[in-house]
Amino acid sequence: MITPLQAYAQTEVKADSSTQGEKVFNAETFKLDNGLEIVVIPNHRTPVVTHMVWYKVGGADEMQGKSGIAHFMEHLMFKGSDGLASGEFSKTVKKLGGNDNAFTGQDYTAYFQSIAVEHLEKVMTMEAGRMRGMNPPLQEVESERKVILEERRQRTDNDPRGRFGEQMNAALYVNHPYGTPVIGWFHEMEQLSWDDAKTFYDKWYGPNNAVLIVSGDVTGAQVHELAKKIYGPLARVDSIPVRSRTISPPLYAQTKVLQRHPAIRQAVIQRNYRVPSYRQNAKDSLALQVIEEIMGGGATSRFYKSLVIEQKLATGAGMSYRADSWDDTTLSVHATPAPGKHPEEIERAIEQELRKLVSEGITAEELQDSKTRMQAAAIYARDSLSGPAMAFGHALATGSSVDDVEYWPGRIEEVTAEQAQDVARRFLDPDGKYDHPPVTGYLLPSAEKEVALENMVQDEVVEIEPAANDNTEDGQSANTKEATP
Amino acid sequence: MRLALLIIFSVLLIAPAPLHARDKVLDIQEVTSPGGIKAWLVEDHSIPVIALKFSFKGAGAALDPASKQGLSRIVSNTLDEGAGDLDSQSFQKELRDLSIGLHFGSGRDNFGGNLKTLTRNKDRAFELMHLALTKPRFDPEPVGRMIASNQSRIRSSLSDPDWMAVRLLNDMAFEGHPYALNSGGTLSTLQSITSIDLDNFVKFRLGKNNLIISAAGDITPEELATTLDTIFGELPQVALQPAPNLETQNQGKTAVYERDIPQTVIEMIQPGIARTDPDFHTAQIMNYVLGGSGFGSRLMEEVREKRGLAYGIYSGFYLSDHFKGFSVSTATANANTKHVLDIIKAEWSKMLNKPVSQEEIDNAKSYLIGSLPLSLTSTDSIASILLSLQGDGLPIDYLEQRENGIKAASIEDVTRVTKRILDPEKFVTILVGKPEGVTASKTYETLPNVE
Repeated sequence: MITPLQAYAQTEVKADSSTQGEKVFNAETFKLDNGLEIVVIPNHRTPVVTHMVWYKVGGADEMQGKSGIAHFMEHLMFKGSDGLASGEFSKTVKKLGGNDNAFTGQDYTAYFQSIAVEHLEKVMTMEAGRMRGMNPPLQEVESERKVILEERRQRTDNDPRGRFGEQMNAALYVNHPYGTPVIGWFHEMEQLSWDDAKTFYDKWYGPNNAVLIVSGDVTGAQVHELAKKIYGPLARVDSIPVRSRTISPPLYAQTKVLQRHPAIRQAVIQRNYRVPSYRQNAKDSLALQVIEEIMGGGATSRFYKSLVIEQKLATGAGMSYRADSWDDTTLSVHATPAPGKHPEEIERAIEQELRKLVSEGITAEELQDSKTRMQAAAIYARDSLSGPAMAFGHALATGSSVDDVEYWPGRIEEVTAEQAQDVARRFLDPDGKYDHPPVTGYLLPSAEKEVALENMVQDEVVEIEPAANDNTEDGQSANTKEATP
Repeated sequence: MRLALLIIFSVLLIAPAPLHARDKVLDIQEVTSPGGIKAWLVEDHSIPVIALKFSFKGAGAALDPASKQGLSRIVSNTLDEGAGDLDSQSFQKELRDLSIGLHFGSGRDNFGGNLKTLTRNKDRAFELMHLALTKPRFDPEPVGRMIASNQSRIRSSLSDPDWMAVRLLNDMAFEGHPYALNSGGTLSTLQSITSIDLDNFVKFRLGKNNLIISAAGDITPEELATTLDTIFGELPQVALQPAPNLETQNQGKTAVYERDIPQTVIEMIQPGIARTDPDFHTAQIMNYVLGGSGFGSRLMEEVREKRGLAYGIYSGFYLSDHFKGFSVSTATANANTKHVLDIIKAEWSKMLNKPVSQEEIDNAKSYLIGSLPLSLTSTDSIASILLSLQGDGLPIDYLEQRENGIKAASIEDVTRVTKRILDPEKFVTILVGKPEGVTASKTYETLPNVE
């Protein structure tokens, strides 16, 4: 969980610089002649660095029928490039006392190492070497395909909750690539080849489609010098395409996703809305961030108070919104039904809270309190080595700018109660008519089991006041957008 | 301040300084309060954040009676749900409005807490922590709510094969010992927990004499000393009856819990070694080579890299007060289960029968020593390390001792320690899924200590 950061990674308001306030990270930025963007976040507490390269390409940029190729390519990046044998990259990093890894999202693929500062040059050299020079032996491709299939089984297929998240996305993003899981559909993953990966790699990987981020015990000047020497000689790749994704048509039906499974003992209800990302509309996105904080931010939030404490319909409830997305993003409301409570009741209670938000808006006190908390999150966000690098990476790969991250607290400060009510009215009104209506999903026990269970738990629970806090447990995010190697 | 930084950067722009490692060790101070309470501190004023962590040794779930499994967990979830004059919502609202992170947690051995605050809110943060520890309300509404929340958590976990495998491993390997119970509670035992149980827990388990404390960040030793008395000064002395020590139970046995899923989750454990054992540093090298390091470890090479049989496979030490184990975890398509188990056994034999190479030892040493600073990059993580050292009764200069201990290990040492620890005959093996080609010595029909 990356609470402060998640809140971070966005912003694109064209704000007047005089009202932008303090920067959060005081990052320095550069750009090489070959187009490589560089962000440096000096932090001199410990003599270590996090070095990341983010490519502005992810699952949503794949060819039709080749789902999972972005993530497969990410795995193959460890399988040998010019001058490095398969597996040598990670082994070298470890030998130097460092950690390395990578992850793939719908909009980005990122590679990173955390290591003592004196080894920064070495990891940069290796990272630059695999930017254009991948060349894995074919038997490694074969065995790695089995690995990603095992990864899919482990993450998605072994637990019905994994498949439920996938089904929810597929229903919300019709004819849009976000409806396809980053890890890929099993039957397409089985067919992925090195040719597919190479085509994808040649098309998208290059300095002018990448962001280099270094956080830690360095200065901007030091990193700039090193980057010029190491990444500078890589040629710009002129053929890198402009991102273009298929667009969802207007939809005319209310979509409900119902998944039953015998292993499910605890039902889940989720309602996912398609809303603007930061890149699409900064002002709306900032207001949605405030709404998320008020409606879904922990034990004193509106949803938790209403559904869990007062009405005792659920044992957990919340709202999540991710602003860092290239296209539309998901705002998700989720709840864990208390024993004996039907998902329909909860759905009605969720709608009631949303109607109240739409018709009455938020109070001045709620607005001020949420802003204060979000400002504090900005201070905590500095207390980390890799966190700030992640914040910039997410933002830059999804079309936001360095200033959007740096001046996020100041921009949140400018959100008004009217704006919050306005976005609620435009995007979250249960009685509204939308081109992309929300998707409501129930994950339930198998039908016969449900009856038996309800009889049982109702007996069992007669006296208690059902509810729950434990903000960590509703864990299932609406967007299973990331996969790691 | 901003101006000073700009000047420094402009100088560096002209002549970038070479990158180099600093000669820097973690500077740990021991602080004693006027009232005699001790804490370890790493002072760092670069960010206005303070982290305070503490642990009541031996106060954890191993003391929960079988009929009240989950008691420690419910205490940890309700201490921050109202204290003194503040009811649940008022307490939580203050925490949120002041962005104070205040959390309690319970392990099998210890019961602990964390406090994270911005410097500007520290006085109130310390007071809220003090209230939570000394005047918790345990009002019926939040207690009932937390019980229900934990019951939900358990029901949710029942579709998670990793969770089930660990539950079964505890049941098998720790049979007959309190560790075999479910520290998170069962659906029915949680129901039986009352506010009297919670009051008694606080009264009899949380004492000044079983308390260890660490702090890091924007606080001076003098201020920390006063703060210790403010928060913890009123705690009583307690007398706890520790759980007995335990050997791995059911050695050599394999249990299957059949589930209709495509992949079998594999959890294995055999006896291990204590962190305070003089051979522990050498054992870490052994573990690194065998399966502790992820990419580059022998298990990862054989199972994932060469054959594509799993997404990951890891070995590691299981360290608790009364049991020391060495475990392996992975998951593979049902049809490959026997193959993966055979590879694990073969790697055990290889370690036992042939000395590891000098190169493998050197790689392990440079990682184990070189990676330490990576865990010292936030106020929180520094405080965690300080607490963990104290929790294991290690000296304040342990990090230096550790470095020397790792450096000193030879091939012969690793061989000797490998023979001392590894024994494939002693494995307890849990398989959750539809494993093929495996003969089970035990079959679970239901999960113990869940309903």
